[in-house]
Amino acid sequence: MATEQPKPATEEAKMDLFEDDDEFEEFEIDYELEDKEEGKEALQQWEDDWDDDDLNDDFSLQLRRELEGNAEKNESKST
Amino acid sequence: MGEANRQINEYLNRFSDAVSYQDGKSLSRLLSVSSDSASLLSLADALNIFQDANRVIRQSEKHSQYTDILVPIFRALQSYRLRNLVESYIAFERASNAFIQEFRNWDSAWALEALYVIAYEIRILAERADVELASFGKTPEKLKGAGSFLMKVFGVLAGKGPKRVGALYVTCQLFKIYFKLGTVHLCRSVIRSIETARIFDFEEFPVRDKVTYMYYTGRLEVYNENFPAADHKLSYALTHCSERKEENIRMILKYLIPVKLSIGILPRDSLLRKFNLNEYRDVVLALRRGDLRLLRHALQEHEDRFLRSGVYLVLEKLELQVYQRLIKKIYIIQKQKDPNKAHQIKLDVIVKVLKWLQIDMDIDEVECIMSILIYKNLVKGYFAHKSKVAVLSKQDPFPRLNGKPVSS
Repeated sequence: MATEQPKPATEEAKMDLFEDDDEFEEFEIDYELEDKEEGKEALQQWEDDWDDDDLNDDFSLQLRRELEGNAEKNESKST
Repeated sequence: MGEANRQINEYLNRFSDAVSYQDGKSLSRLLSVSSDSASLLSLADALNIFQDANRVIRQSEKHSQYTDILVPIFRALQSYRLRNLVESYIAFERASNAFIQEFRNWDSAWALEALYVIAYEIRILAERADVELASFGKTPEKLKGAGSFLMKVFGVLAGKGPKRVGALYVTCQLFKIYFKLGTVHLCRSVIRSIETARIFDFEEFPVRDKVTYMYYTGRLEVYNENFPAADHKLSYALTHCSERKEENIRMILKYLIPVKLSIGILPRDSLLRKFNLNEYRDVVLALRRGDLRLLRHALQEHEDRFLRSGVYLVLEKLELQVYQRLIKKIYIIQKQKDPNKAHQIKLDVIVKVLKWLQIDMDIDEVECIMSILIYKNLVKGYFAHKSKVAVLSKQDPFPRLNGKPVSS
């Protein structure tokens, strides 16, 4: 029941969200799917195994320098 | 005068013939008021010259049975030509009501194509009438009226007969109206009917309507933050939409991309470039890198656009995934240096890395973020609270989302 409570507020907020121009274009009346292969190509445009261990990009190299710099500082402090 | 008379008679004959030969395509062309087709434009001119067209209709045995459609349709064409858009809408609605009366009595679905044109025209004419009303300082109310009319049409189609395949087209026109008016809660009753009524079999509807339907219902799922359902619907729209409709593909992707991101799936850069969705490139890069500053910067830069399409909140929640990625990178770097200590991450190391990214957070705030990551199963591990160290699980410390949303 408690989850029902905040509904009216979000409903109102949503009204504003739809003031956009993303209106779907009309298809021709006799439109039918002409080639199913096309859709497959669009499906292959996604990656779910991007989260790899490769750290050779610029950002990772800088991050490494940052971490190693810190470590050195810490070590020099402790000695 | 003779020429005007001839054109009017030609239209009337075509109309009566289309009905008697059950030629839906020809009939639909005669009703496309806003199409600006050459023949309709010159007919409208003829009607404006020859003022007595209504008498021609009433005196003909062949045409007079359709007086209730023909008289207002002439009026709508004339007014449209003279850019009296409110008048044109009112007349067209009257003609449409009369058309529906006839349509109801026709057993077969031959006139569906004409009905589609009516459903489309009533929306377009209402939109234009509302612009005119607003310019006169009056309340725009015609689009709302068109919505009520289309609900009635939906009711006519929602039966057991062959006309039911037309119900999804009408539904899509209703969606366009409700989204424009910001009354999307009105979508619910038609959706319920389409998805649960036994008379409808979704696969039976035309592809173009299924694609449009999945686009709009997919957007609704995005706003309800029901990402698996949004993914299903928008992906359906994407795979079934012809590549020739590039603008539509772009619109589908505009909503599908944030959905995919939120379940841990990234679009390839080629896709973003092909469809000119550059506003997402830095967001994707931020996720790949674990670059929190870049994510915040990208959201700020395109704030207007993301707010307008309503995906801002979805994208904001990607922060947790970016933290996960960042901490994973810290972990990997530590591991390369000293595999034995890698699973212990000092919170002050994270504080320093964030400072390097120009994000000011103290150790308590970082601890808070870490607990959220652990709670949401983006990081597996526990806290050594006293020593301010997060101890990561040795097994799979950074679980992947694998197409599921971050748990709430």
